[in-house]
Amino acid sequence: MKTQLRSIYKLFAPWLLVVALVLSACAPMTAPAQPPSAQPVTLTVIMEQVPDYDIVAELTKRFEAEHPDVRIRFDPMPYDAMRDKILTSFLAPQATYDVIIVDNPWMDEFAKAGFLAPLDDYIAAQEGYNLQDFVEPLRAIGEVDGQLYGVPYYNYALGLIVRQDLFDDPSNQEKFQAEYGRPLTIPTTLEEYLEVGQFFMAQGIYGAAMQPQRGYKVFEEWKNWLYAAGGNLMDAEGNVILDNEAGQKALEMYIEMYKTAAPPNSLNWGFDEALRAMAAGEAATMLSYNWMLPTLNKADGPAGDLAGAFALYEPPGGKAVLGAWHWAIPANTANKDAAWRYIGWLTSPAVDKERVILGGAPIRTSVMNDPEVWEKGFGREYYETVLRILEDAEPLARGQSAEEIINEVGTYLNSAVAGEMSVAEALSAAAAKVREILARS
Amino acid sequence: MRPPLLHSRSVDETMIPFKYRLLLPMAVTLAAVLIYPLLFSLWASLHDYRLTAVGDVRWVGLEHYAALATNRSFWNAMRNTVIFVAVAVGLEFALGFLLAILLHRATPFRHVFRALLLTPAFITPIAVGLIFRFLLNSQLGVIPHLLRSVGVDVDWFGPNLALFSLALIDVWQWTPFMMLLLLAGLEALPPEPFEAARVDGATGWQALRHITFPLMRPVILASLLIRMLDAFKVYEYVYAITRGGPGESTETIQYHIYRVGFLYYRAGEAAAMAYVLMAVILLFVVVLFYVVRREATS
Repeated sequence: MKTQLRSIYKLFAPWLLVVALVLSACAPMTAPAQPPSAQPVTLTVIMEQVPDYDIVAELTKRFEAEHPDVRIRFDPMPYDAMRDKILTSFLAPQATYDVIIVDNPWMDEFAKAGFLAPLDDYIAAQEGYNLQDFVEPLRAIGEVDGQLYGVPYYNYALGLIVRQDLFDDPSNQEKFQAEYGRPLTIPTTLEEYLEVGQFFMAQGIYGAAMQPQRGYKVFEEWKNWLYAAGGNLMDAEGNVILDNEAGQKALEMYIEMYKTAAPPNSLNWGFDEALRAMAAGEAATMLSYNWMLPTLNKADGPAGDLAGAFALYEPPGGKAVLGAWHWAIPANTANKDAAWRYIGWLTSPAVDKERVILGGAPIRTSVMNDPEVWEKGFGREYYETVLRILEDAEPLARGQSAEEIINEVGTYLNSAVAGEMSVAEALSAAAAKVREILARS
Repeated sequence: MRPPLLHSRSVDETMIPFKYRLLLPMAVTLAAVLIYPLLFSLWASLHDYRLTAVGDVRWVGLEHYAALATNRSFWNAMRNTVIFVAVAVGLEFALGFLLAILLHRATPFRHVFRALLLTPAFITPIAVGLIFRFLLNSQLGVIPHLLRSVGVDVDWFGPNLALFSLALIDVWQWTPFMMLLLLAGLEALPPEPFEAARVDGATGWQALRHITFPLMRPVILASLLIRMLDAFKVYEYVYAITRGGPGESTETIQYHIYRVGFLYYRAGEAAAMAYVLMAVILLFVVVLFYVVRREATS
């Protein structure tokens, strides 16, 4: 027996030694000099690397100066990497991230899985926070089963961005009047939008820089057409209705616009390509994020000499697709209180106003109605239009399987635009898929 | 008297022989990085295992496998992948063989050509995907611009051409690797049969057909297998360029599994798909072996 033990020892001793050396190398060199309570808390925050992140990073310097006991460490990354990283952090025994941002299709899924900490008590305890000041559709995204799990960070509701100079051009107005028997105005219905698109195409400029790329992009764009046709993904009772008459009309007109007024070979176009076409003066309109207007009109921005020629309107039909990022706290972080101190500070009315003045996408009604914001930001008209868009906006999709629904429906829509399926076939298959997904979850 | 040390057999040696002790580190490593994940994914494929509900895992048996039989998207992705592999590896073999024969000759600067030709294989596939996304982009791309200047307008990522375009990108990147493998095979061939053929008056084509190809058969098999197994894993080009579109025309099996497992978090279903893919690949390997061996014996 003794010999056997010795042989086992001989076998594993070198390995134990290696493990011991590795562990000792990983151990801290010295014991903490101060008790843990005196140490500042470091919060790790995952962020998407977009211009709004730069504004938050700038404001955070002041937060750290005002709160020396809290340090913020950002982990900025591209959108595609975020969902996986956040999920990995949720599943770890200890959270990698103390503060996260949640895209609107993920909210119900994360909250119902128990990954997010409720924020109601924190909000109730923060004086002057004014939760109701967030535009209602935005605030509602953070609420799941009567509890609040996220507060808005920024919106990406869609609006109609147009080349105003082309609409104001007397020559265009005259020709349009002669051809359609009505003045050339900003389209408020799908029929008008199609006519305007085809008109500009005939004048040698693409009528619409569209984004029919498979999955998220085509779904996001087409859903504005669906709203304008009076349709929706589901009715109030939760029945799937996207293949009804309104859905058919929306998809037929969307394809008609693609075939007759969009740039050729743009079936895979997403956000970047559409923006480039607008900035290069190749297209007269696009349905895109409302905050693209300041970017296009920026003097040293991507549009060059065309800066100032762009204007923002509500999408045809009035109702817009709403996208939004929310701040949230993972349920498995040990630093929930400090995390809320940071989020609560950043989204408070006063700091949020500063964020918007610095160029951030607005989320609070009071900020969008503030004359100081109009003056120091992008002008009264822009904020009033954004507020109108946000007030009549509906999220891209909700529910535990929103991400899957968006991608699956977006695949069928793209197939229909590509001509691989008829409108009826694509919508019928998409509706069946949504029912299957909902039944499974 | 104590026996000589050289012939002694201590108790610990009889318990675990020395050769097995030497194997132990590799065996433990393999078990940790290969066998455990394989067994775990097999277990996951038999359960309703969702990454958003790891505390609520349910035994479903072969349900995921049975559901795949009627999963149109899965088999469409499988079909796309097989087409991609056939087109890409077929062209890579044809071009690679041609280049290998050219470089096998005593061409001036052949070492320089060989080094230059190998460059694409050193670039990471995701970077290659991004490069071609811009090169073939209808707005910014140099290739569509040049083609338009001569009156040719090609939609490289349209529904009819997208999968073929991805295969061409693969051909651009991996033909040099195929060429390298085949060139190594050509350089290892014995010169005597070729000298004899030349004396007998064989033409270049006859020598290629009746001597080079038969002697190269094991190298060809290995090259095709290596590239085929690698091409089955195509994911980066799809992710960087088309995301599986238009429609599902470029959705490959790896991208499909990624979507189900990491976008929709249905790890159990994704694991079942991965096992079916493994079976399909094994089937291809067996068929390829069988065909090549049958030709060798005939």
